[in-house]
Amino acid sequence: MAYADPSSGRDLLGNRSLCFIFICAFGLVTLLQQILYGKNYIKRYLENYDGSFEYNSTACRELRQEIMDVKVLTMVKSSELFERWRNLQVCRWEQNKEETSNFKMSLSRCCNAPSFLFTTKRNTPAGTKLRYEVDANGILPITNEIFKMFPDDMPYSKSQFKKCAVIGNGGIIKNSKCGKEIDSADFVFRCNIPPINEKYTVDVGSKTDLVTINPSIITERFQKLEKWRRPFYEVLQNYDNSSVVLPAFYNTRNTDVSFRVKYMLDDFDSQRNVFFFHPQYLLNVQRFWTVQGVRAKRLSSGLMLVTAALELCEEVHLYGFWAFSVNPSGIFITHHYYDNVKPRPGFHAMPHEIFNFIHMHTRGIINVHTGQCT
Amino acid sequence: MPVCMLVRCCRAKLSVWAALCVLVLCWFYVFPGYRLPADKEIAEEVLRHGEAWRKNQTGIDLYRKLLTECCDPRRMFAVTKENSPLGKVLWYDGEFYYSHTVNNETYQLFVQDNPLTLPLKKCAVVGNGGILRHSKCGKDIDQADFIMRCNLPPLSKEYVEDVGTITHLVTANPSIIEKRFQNLLWSRKDFVDSMKVYGSSYIYMPAFSMKPGTDPSLRAYYALADSSSNLTMLFANPEFLHMVGKFWKARNVHARRLSTGLFLVSLALGLCEEVTVYGFWPFSVGLDEQPVSHHYYDNILPYKWVHAMPEEFVQLWHLHKSGTLRMRVGRCPSQDGVS
Repeated sequence: MAYADPSSGRDLLGNRSLCFIFICAFGLVTLLQQILYGKNYIKRYLENYDGSFEYNSTACRELRQEIMDVKVLTMVKSSELFERWRNLQVCRWEQNKEETSNFKMSLSRCCNAPSFLFTTKRNTPAGTKLRYEVDANGILPITNEIFKMFPDDMPYSKSQFKKCAVIGNGGIIKNSKCGKEIDSADFVFRCNIPPINEKYTVDVGSKTDLVTINPSIITERFQKLEKWRRPFYEVLQNYDNSSVVLPAFYNTRNTDVSFRVKYMLDDFDSQRNVFFFHPQYLLNVQRFWTVQGVRAKRLSSGLMLVTAALELCEEVHLYGFWAFSVNPSGIFITHHYYDNVKPRPGFHAMPHEIFNFIHMHTRGIINVHTGQCT
Repeated sequence: MPVCMLVRCCRAKLSVWAALCVLVLCWFYVFPGYRLPADKEIAEEVLRHGEAWRKNQTGIDLYRKLLTECCDPRRMFAVTKENSPLGKVLWYDGEFYYSHTVNNETYQLFVQDNPLTLPLKKCAVVGNGGILRHSKCGKDIDQADFIMRCNLPPLSKEYVEDVGTITHLVTANPSIIEKRFQNLLWSRKDFVDSMKVYGSSYIYMPAFSMKPGTDPSLRAYYALADSSSNLTMLFANPEFLHMVGKFWKARNVHARRLSTGLFLVSLALGLCEEVTVYGFWPFSVGLDEQPVSHHYYDNILPYKWVHAMPEEFVQLWHLHKSGTLRMRVGRCPSQDGVS
């Protein structure tokens, strides 16, 4: 019995017990969190719910503060964020004049959509060398042929429209019955030529004033318009009177396809306007949002349109913007309202954009609709 | 130094061989194996022969039989769903070892079957030779039952008197689409509008002859279909073109490629009862020794070594002399003279 076991009775803080303590603590904290922040909010606010909450009521202020407390998307679980968002829905949205005008001011300082949104004869005279947005060494000299395709001047002016609706293609808009509300807006933006036939018109409406087309759609679905052209023309005919916007100067591959759209419409004697995003505008917008915390290889066209709408309209309403796989109530939704094709991963930062919209909604700059319309 | 000697020896031999080769080439240049008659001789020959021409039914029948045996123009002249089913391999006749397999996309562009109502009675093949200018052949041409033209010629007002107005079949070379219509990649209106001149005729395009010609030809089809034009697109069957090429090669036409005109004449000989040929005159001097432009609408000469127009002309002239077809050179007689 010369040597006693040195470790006997001394495993008080050994590996196994430490591990056990950690697990216990973790479990306890989780439990506490569940108890404290679980379903209590709804209960608390449903108890004293009387009709609709006024914008400036204390309850609504608190609810808004709760969302503003979430500084980054990864700070809380998304279900937690959704719950706070859901709770906010009981409050009526109202535009915050001061915040909005401040925001618009900084936008017009950086981007100035009313004169630089599209390439025009005014802001891009013939002979200038246009720099592509991503192809850093790609430079396109504006020949007369190209110059002829530009509009004389920007067709829209600052805060020209009272109420604008920007329609995203998220699955959230399905069964929302927002069609009527959307159609009542003064100006409706849509992204990437979404289908708006009878099947969807109850949810997404049919009025369209400006629709973007991603050249990749033309490349994939319409063989770059090198073969048949009528099918594409017929697709565009669904959007009566709407103008078409293309990011022709995003990279060198987009240019030819985009010009071909213009040529095609001219061939069919169409009165439809074709515009091209000014690459410098897109670059400025990207820079602007990077400062705001939206970092992505490429901003979605939805965000582009919202940015433009903020300058062109007094009040901006967003429908169908929700980039999560579940809706705020936790029910799974499709990626688009018309299909479930996911985009390339790592290309867009949709959740960050949406989170940003949620914040802007809370600050009273834009109105994001994610529920059913009445 | 044996190695050095060897090299020097070889080098010396090489120069001797080169000199010999040059000599042989010179010999062939001065005394060629076969020789084309000069422009002037041909003009004299045509003048000597005069206007006299007699139809030779046996000649016509013989040629129709020969052509049917070799190339079967009734069935084969165009690519149809009948003769080119899905999966059929079309070997390009103007390329070395290149083919297109008929797939779902191209198959639906083909016509069901030979769209021409056969047999055709009086056919006119109108070449684009400068000899047509001031020929007053328009009325004569328009009287034919089936009029074929080459390479989308202009039929504007100033030429109507000389070349007529009606067209039943017009060929279009893909290179024209490339040059005049920017490959139909941009605006297609110019193309569709300029096609309106040809009414509701057939457009005959060798889509499967040259590699770079396929896409423009198909695009021409799409452009016409998109604008719901009443022209019908026929794609030339490369097999037919190849066989016709061989047919004429056996008859002393040495060229990389036959001219469109000769293809059309072969087609007409196979399909029609009576063939009249206008505007074939590949020489720079006319019958009256006046200079003649290459085309009736311009004077752009073709690449030198592609076509062997004079040889083709000689062949056609033989056919004219034997009464198999009628060739119009120079002015057409006024209307009362014909009847």
